[in-house]
Amino acid sequence: MGYQPHSLHIQGEALAPAIELIGITKRFPGVLANDNVNLTVEEGEIHAVCGENGAGKSTLMKILYGMQPADEGTMNLFSERRTFQSPNEAIEAGIGMVHQHFMLANQLTVLENVILGAEPTQRGGLIDFDSASEHLEEVGKAYGLTVDPFDLVESLSVGERQRVEIIKVLFRGAKILIFDEPTAVLVPQEVEELFRNMRELKANGATIIFIDHKLEEVLEIADTITVLRQGKTVATVKPSDVSATDLAELMVGSELPKPQITDTKISEAIGIQLDNVTVLDEDERPIVDAVSLEVRQGEILGIAGVEGNGQHELVGAILGTQKISTGSIFMTGDDISNTSVRSRRENGLGYIPQDRQEEGLLLTAPLWENAALGHQTVKPFSGGWNQWFIDREGSRSQTERIRSEFDVRTPNVEVSAHALSGGNQQKLIVGREMVSEPSVLVASHPTRGIDVGAQASVWEQIRQARSQGLATLLISADLDELIGLSDRIVVMFRGRIVAQLDPSEITPRSLGAYMTGATTDEGSA
Amino acid sequence: MILKQIRRLPTWARWASFATLGILVLTLVQELGQNETSHLTAMTTSQTALKWSIPILLAGLGGLFAERAGIINIGLEGMMILGTWFGAWGAFNYGPYSGILIGIIGGAIGGLIHAIATVGFGVDHIISGVAINILGPFAARFLSSEIFTGYQGGSVTQSPRVESVDKFTMPFLAGGYDTPNFLKWLGDKDIPILSDTGNIFRGVLTQTSWATIIALLLVPLSAWLLWRTRFGLRVRISGEDPWAGESQGVNIYRYKFIAVMISGGLAGFGGAFITIEMSSIYQEGGTTGRGFIGLAALIFGNWRPGGILAAALLFGYPYALQFGDFDGFASHALLLVNAIALFGVTIWAIRRSKHADAVIAFVLATLSAVWYFIADTVPDWWVKILPYVIVIVVLIFFAQRLRMPAANGQIYRRGQT
Repeated sequence: MGYQPHSLHIQGEALAPAIELIGITKRFPGVLANDNVNLTVEEGEIHAVCGENGAGKSTLMKILYGMQPADEGTMNLFSERRTFQSPNEAIEAGIGMVHQHFMLANQLTVLENVILGAEPTQRGGLIDFDSASEHLEEVGKAYGLTVDPFDLVESLSVGERQRVEIIKVLFRGAKILIFDEPTAVLVPQEVEELFRNMRELKANGATIIFIDHKLEEVLEIADTITVLRQGKTVATVKPSDVSATDLAELMVGSELPKPQITDTKISEAIGIQLDNVTVLDEDERPIVDAVSLEVRQGEILGIAGVEGNGQHELVGAILGTQKISTGSIFMTGDDISNTSVRSRRENGLGYIPQDRQEEGLLLTAPLWENAALGHQTVKPFSGGWNQWFIDREGSRSQTERIRSEFDVRTPNVEVSAHALSGGNQQKLIVGREMVSEPSVLVASHPTRGIDVGAQASVWEQIRQARSQGLATLLISADLDELIGLSDRIVVMFRGRIVAQLDPSEITPRSLGAYMTGATTDEGSA
Repeated sequence: MILKQIRRLPTWARWASFATLGILVLTLVQELGQNETSHLTAMTTSQTALKWSIPILLAGLGGLFAERAGIINIGLEGMMILGTWFGAWGAFNYGPYSGILIGIIGGAIGGLIHAIATVGFGVDHIISGVAINILGPFAARFLSSEIFTGYQGGSVTQSPRVESVDKFTMPFLAGGYDTPNFLKWLGDKDIPILSDTGNIFRGVLTQTSWATIIALLLVPLSAWLLWRTRFGLRVRISGEDPWAGESQGVNIYRYKFIAVMISGGLAGFGGAFITIEMSSIYQEGGTTGRGFIGLAALIFGNWRPGGILAAALLFGYPYALQFGDFDGFASHALLLVNAIALFGVTIWAIRRSKHADAVIAFVLATLSAVWYFIADTVPDWWVKILPYVIVIVVLIFFAQRLRMPAANGQIYRRGQT
């Protein structure tokens, strides 16, 4: 690799760096999360810290923010040696964290969420809501962040919630802001808005640490980039000196795999077909609104959309966990609209759930039991003469097969599922669905939150299944994944399919415009 | 702030119109019903109803503090039982006011145990609560056998008689302190609705115990404490999203701990109220499940103090009706009130197109009406079980509309999301 780790880039000699982390080491049982990490952040810059999942970015930030103590190493704040025992101490020192998963209570107002922990009070502990809301609006105005202090957080959009998170740390007087993967939950237009806000903050003198693994974004916004790999700092570079490919190689240490499909062998036979399907929510409002679509054998249909626009319910309708109020669903020609989940699964419906820990696995159960989930009524998981009993030996050997064919890294199949890393858990789920040779696969965010290696392996499995004639419905928030893997993409917005697109002709940006409802078309396949 | 005031106004207006509607229905049933009775809107009825509502209210408020902090407190009943015992012991030895205070401390000890288990050790809230419900009565019995058996008139199941706290009668409105009695004058006029309203308010304002008044004042006080103060905001974040609170430097453990202690204290107050104000004696099993009814009031009241008060009054009313209803006509008339209320629920359910609910409510309403018209009296068990029936019916129809604190019942451990 052509890059030497920059030692320090000297800007103005007199200025002490805002943050200096020297030799930070953090061990967890069996894992070295941070291995002698060094990080220097100058005052008033946007400093990106990037690396793959599991590279140690989050751990480093938790140490900086006082959520976890470091085992070794020192931390200097404006040349002063500091250690934080709790987030409170970090906040007092002027460090604020904008969390990836919003730390907001939905049932409280914006104002209540913001002032929490630093409530302006009169005598008797009475909160001075008037002066608090004034202060909030001042802070908002100063940085170009507007939001109504008396709105309930649950009524806000994702972008607005993030604004509240930012206001929250500014309200506490933070001068150093840590953004933990802030773009993960945003569509491209909201990302631009966020970057505008970040530049505004920088112009006002704030120092920003920006955690991300999306290279284009890092190159666009950062002044300096530090790359972590397997808990170590591998390089500190300037964005002008590197390309996205260079950064990617620094992150993974080798060529970055890409989601890509090659051959086209789509058959005429329809795998799954939805005809005018409507699903109603508790208030009888359509959450999936007259959706019609079909996926042919050997085809991957991508479903794009901002989360909460009916994708989850659509998946439920296909799987049979959501009651459909009108319309019908056909799988390989048979009407399955009113059949049970079990019969759909037994007839060849594979399912990769969006949340592997909540929906996909029993974390405390051994792997071989987890491998039987959803297939517990069929061979080899249950005995041939009686499906009421689990065939333990059959299950174990089938799990061994999944383990070797799908590269699930585990000492044996008796360990419980929570002992596996996220990537290996996902490989187990993918393997479990694939070895049963389904004719239709519903894959909901199949690579969310797993590392690049596991991601490449999941992509490869989906590609292989496609070439063997599997009809796949792919729901994903990763637009590159959607564009790279799908034969066709449809966009869901407010429960409806608002566009049908050819992945070879679109970019994540143009797809984002469809997802927010900014552009629509009525479909031309 | 003004916007908030305006948004608040319809709520008060709504409560007032509900109350007016209720009085209207009671009056109509009395005036037009099969049997002559004035017991539904009598002064003694409202007086007794208020008294019987107070333990339920206090248990409900106790539940409010715990669950707003995210701790389910099914142990309210056990804490209430501790309150009945400690209230009696305190009142016997140091007088009724100290008795209430000691009852509060007794309940708070129960709260402390629950807090140590659920907050300190992360025990499942239900398991800890059930344990306290088992522990409470046994602790009370043990203490009785050790202490009350030594008193004149005491035994393992009951205490000697204790005194009540002083009473207050509203001057001018209800004739306290030798002033004119406006509401009596109004009630004697026998004008439909107006006189009934007068009687109901006269009952509430005549010979009201100071303990009752303090309990009622706890309703606005709780609202103020939870929604207007720093303490309250931090308690609520503990129940809505403790991890968000932690990330902003709030010591969640502390607020959960304090809230559960307050919860136990309020339940203890409810228990002491039963002993000192209602039975004038500690009796084993004297709470008759009112801790659980308080929990139902909490749910029906949608985890808000005003709602809990309304629910407590609703649940307390049928208890009161059994007293002094010698001919059973009032209890009988209550069937018609039930039928009217259930028909109201039917219309409400139809308008929200909850068809299953509408059918159930309509069938219950019809049954109630038919029973009313074919029978002249009702067996006395009917009124005795009515509060519990109301609880079940209310929960069936309204539970799904209610919203409890988002992280209620979840086990919170610092640093683990």
